[in-house]
Amino acid sequence: MRNYENLVIVKPTLTAEEIQASVKAIEEIITSNGGEIATTDTMGMRKLAYPIEKNERGYFHVIYYSIAPSAITEIERRFRLNEELLRFVTIKYDTNREIIAFNQLVQKAQKKAAAPAKEEVAKTEAPKAEEAPATETPKAEEAPATETPAVEAEAPAAE
Amino acid sequence: MAERRKYKKRYCKYCEAKVDFMDYKDVGALRFSLSERYKIMPRRLTGNCKRHQDMISTVIKRARAAALVPYTVTRKTVVTAPFENLK
Ligand SMILES: [Zn+2]
Repeated sequence: MRNYENLVIVKPTLTAEEIQASVKAIEEIITSNGGEIATTDTMGMRKLAYPIEKNERGYFHVIYYSIAPSAITEIERRFRLNEELLRFVTIKYDTNREIIAFNQLVQKAQKKAAAPAKEEVAKTEAPKAEEAPATETPKAEEAPATETPAVEAEAPAAE
Repeated sequence: MAERRKYKKRYCKYCEAKVDFMDYKDVGALRFSLSERYKIMPRRLTGNCKRHQDMISTVIKRARAAALVPYTVTRKTVVTAPFENLK
C-alpha cells in the first residue's frame, strides 16, 4: 500500500447534485480497486488558470488515499474514460518526508472538513504513523517535532 | 564591488523557514518563485538553494497541470489575471 493523492476537476456545467454524484462515483472507483480513502478535501468551484475544454471554471475535489501501486493504472484509465472529469492529477507520496507531509495534509483536511470529529482523526492517524518503515522511524520522529509549529502557524491563516 | 552587486546578499528563504515539503495546492506560497508572467524565477535571482529550487519547479509544474497556475500568459490574460485572483 502506498499513499496517493488525486485532485479531480469536475465539469462546471453539471448541477450540484450531479457533481456530488460524480464525486461519489470517483471515490467508488478508488474503493472498488482496493483503495482506502484517508480523507477528502473539497476546494469547491474555482476559476481555472486556463480554459480546459472551453470551460473557464471547475469543481475541485481532492482525495487522499492509500492503495496498491499496481491499481493506479486502472484508476487512471477509468478517470480518462470519465467524461465528467476535466482533469485529474495523481501525486505519489513515497519517500519518508513525503509520507510525513501526507499525514499532515490529511490532518489538515480532516480539521477543515469537520471540527467536531476530532476523535476520529486521532484514531485514523495512529496506525498510519506506524506504517512507515521501521529503519527510518528516528528520522520521522525528529521531523514532525520541528515542523509542527510551522503547520500550526499556517492553519489559522488557511481557515 | 558593492556597487557592482545589484541584489542584496542572497539566501534561501525556504532553508530559513525549514521547508521540507511544498504543497502544490497552496498557490499563495508559490507566488514568490513565479514571475509576473508565471515563469519559474531563476535561482540566481531568488537565491534559492538547489534542493529547494528543484522542489519548487516540480511543485509549480504540478500546479500547472492542475490548472491552478497558468502555463503561459498572453498580453490579454496579463490584465485579466493578476496574482490576487489565484489566492
Ligand atoms: Zn533551501
